[in-house]
Amino acid sequence: MTVRQLTIGCFALLAAVLPYLGLLPGWTPALATITAFAALSLIGLNLIFGVTGMLALGQAAFVALPGYLAGIMHVSGVPAIVAIPLGIASAVLIARLVAEIFIRLPGIYFAIGTLGLAFVVEGLARAFPSITGGASGLMLEPPVAMQADGWYILAVVSVALGTASFAWLVRGRFLRTLKLVRHDELAAQVLGINVARVKAQAFTIGSTYSAVGGILLAYYVRVLAPESGGVNASLEALAMVVIGGSGSVFGPLLGAAAIHWLFAVAGGAERFELLVYGLGFFLVVLYAPAGIVGALRLGWAIGEAQLGQRGAGTPAPAAAPPMTARDAAAVRAASAREGTCLELENVSKHFGGLRAVQDVSFTVRFGQIVALIGPNGAGKSTLFNVISGIEMPTQGRILLQGADIGELPIHRRAASIGRSFQVPRLVPDLTPIDNVVARLDHLPGDAREIDGQRVARAQLEAFGLSALADRPVNQIGLGYHKLIELVRASAGQPPLLLLDEPAVGLTADEVTQLADLLRLLKSQGAAILVVEHNVGFVETVADEIVVMDSGRLIAQGTPQAVMTNPEVRDAYLGALT
Amino acid sequence: MNLFTQSVISGLMTGALYTLLGIGLVLVYRTARILNLAHGESFAITGVVAALLVGYGVPLPVSIAVAMLVAVAFATSLHRFVLRPRSEWPAGTLILITLGAAFVARGVMILLVGTDPVSFPALFEAPPIRVAGGALPVQGLALVLVGFGVSVAVGLFLAATRSGKQLLATAENPYAAELLGVDVERARLIAYGIGGLLSALAGVLLIPLIAVDFQSGLAMTLRGFIAAAIAGMSPVGVLASGLGLGLFEAMVGAYLGALFQDPVMFFVLILVALWQSRKIRFGGGRRA
Repeated sequence: MTVRQLTIGCFALLAAVLPYLGLLPGWTPALATITAFAALSLIGLNLIFGVTGMLALGQAAFVALPGYLAGIMHVSGVPAIVAIPLGIASAVLIARLVAEIFIRLPGIYFAIGTLGLAFVVEGLARAFPSITGGASGLMLEPPVAMQADGWYILAVVSVALGTASFAWLVRGRFLRTLKLVRHDELAAQVLGINVARVKAQAFTIGSTYSAVGGILLAYYVRVLAPESGGVNASLEALAMVVIGGSGSVFGPLLGAAAIHWLFAVAGGAERFELLVYGLGFFLVVLYAPAGIVGALRLGWAIGEAQLGQRGAGTPAPAAAPPMTARDAAAVRAASAREGTCLELENVSKHFGGLRAVQDVSFTVRFGQIVALIGPNGAGKSTLFNVISGIEMPTQGRILLQGADIGELPIHRRAASIGRSFQVPRLVPDLTPIDNVVARLDHLPGDAREIDGQRVARAQLEAFGLSALADRPVNQIGLGYHKLIELVRASAGQPPLLLLDEPAVGLTADEVTQLADLLRLLKSQGAAILVVEHNVGFVETVADEIVVMDSGRLIAQGTPQAVMTNPEVRDAYLGALT
Repeated sequence: MNLFTQSVISGLMTGALYTLLGIGLVLVYRTARILNLAHGESFAITGVVAALLVGYGVPLPVSIAVAMLVAVAFATSLHRFVLRPRSEWPAGTLILITLGAAFVARGVMILLVGTDPVSFPALFEAPPIRVAGGALPVQGLALVLVGFGVSVAVGLFLAATRSGKQLLATAENPYAAELLGVDVERARLIAYGIGGLLSALAGVLLIPLIAVDFQSGLAMTLRGFIAAAIAGMSPVGVLASGLGLGLFEAMVGAYLGALFQDPVMFFVLILVALWQSRKIRFGGGRRA
């Protein structure tokens, strides 16, 4: 246990007994109970919005719904002990449905959809007073009578469990996946992530926290008012998460505590409440996106520096464990690689009247580097997008190891295709290791954390990048991003590599290094298709060159043959000489 | 009174409102590539400021002019001083900032006028026009005429003036427009300005008939978005979708009851989402 964990533990204990010490004016057991239940529900919003970056504007709907549903069921004769879990389950089911409807669309639909739901919940609660109690609220009777201290213990235990389960859940593979989805949905899909499914999962799990926290709070205060499920309550929830520190484990707890205590101390300032929430939210988003947790971290770092508690150094990497089943499978797959990998048959892609790719056919064999060249607008990038599944072909077939993949979604091609982008799309706040492991996470086979770390480290080392392996990507020079992305694309040895202008922006030395790396990957049996403008580089590494112009394939063959082809010189190289 | 005629009349007024809201939302969305969640606040701000000033005894025309000015200033300064300096931030964060601005605006409005709805006198104090068993307030007629007239004017501005064409080019593709020498930032500022102005106009004409409270803004953003989404984010299409949405909502209000308007709007949004999803053939997300 580190000093830091010990400190957090001590503070947690102190916080738990604080209401009974009377050290903090206004911080009574009743307020602390409310705060803890509210924080439990905010953990869900923190997962959805803070970690995954989904703009859930109506989360209060899922806080109030389970209480309303349970209360209404109870009134109609269902015992509370059954109605409460049913209420939670129904609210989670509704969350799941909302996710299914809005999540495949751009994020703004999800934002507006969730906002709309908050309007609906509050509106319905007001519209049917005979069922919901209307504006004066729905009375709730707890199934078991509990004293105030009992409630407080329940609140502390449940928020502790909630926080611990969040910390346990949102780490490793799941955290990497969520960060990828948050940062770059396209890159996430290309790495094999079913983005819609991951977002639906995050929203459903998060809404479960919201529902549990919400129903506990409702039964504690024994009344549920329409506005607790409405837009203002949703905005206030967002504000508390943001102010506490969105995405961090203790953010919801700190945000809820700070705000609840502030308003309790200020007393009778209801008119100012919304403005305080709004300003707090606005200013934190603009100037201190890490919130209270960020400030505490900064304070801790300064304190640590002043105490000179540095120099323990990073722990040495664990010794390499013996070869695993996954390695063995990879070796088998690699040794089975011969013949044709990728085959394009008369592929066309039209955008309206624009024929971006017109009737293109060629093949890439295992252990072969094929370079795709052509002037700007020749259709190279479109063809790449068609192969990786970002665009659908208008006509033609795409065969990968003999199977037609033309109809498969992006993420289902990912296991067989490693792709790099013109502008690298790495997750900036993850290390190269984690970026590479995020790729391994979504390849078929046994995915154990330690294996992934080891394979990623070995691969980075093979590419001469081990010195950079443990720094966040946003602290590493842009020149290395291309190489790191190449490691990520080739990790797990996919049969086909699609590299989009890998040499652009590299120095002459780095280009030489890149050529060596491509030859290494080729010798491991990969089929490599490269789009590249650097003709010198292409001539040195490519076994075959395919030339496109205005969407058509105009020449293909060995570098010497293509470079001396008069049509190619006219269409493409003529512009350079 | 004829219920059908009356709901057509109120539907026309609501439709004009949604059209005015939708056009601004689309222009900003297309040129600046973000959804401005504070869009509807310009509507609410107009009402709150005008009501306050009239309450202080300021003449109505002056109050209205000042209110519109404040609303436009809110929209343009949100862009100029908050969003534009952070244009390289992720789009999600920028949307969050617009939400923050809406949040602050609500906070300020509740502080100024409290939670009760406020209103101010209509510009036109004539008895309502009677048509086919319905009553159309003169103010409402003005709203309808202004709503659709202004929409056409904006269409002409986009199609015929240099600034308008630059705005359209930016909406089509900001990067290409910038390469062609279009002052993209100016185009965006104009888009925010038009957005604020149209919302303010709608506020000036509609609020005397229905009143407004501190939390009207997001409800307006929601409705403007639904109109815009039905139109596929096309500024011309909003003319039709806004009108249709307004008529539909008025019918729901008349025949099912006003309490059903929010749930039915949500249902419309679900239908729009399902309709849009049909175009997305692949597993999830959207291509960059």
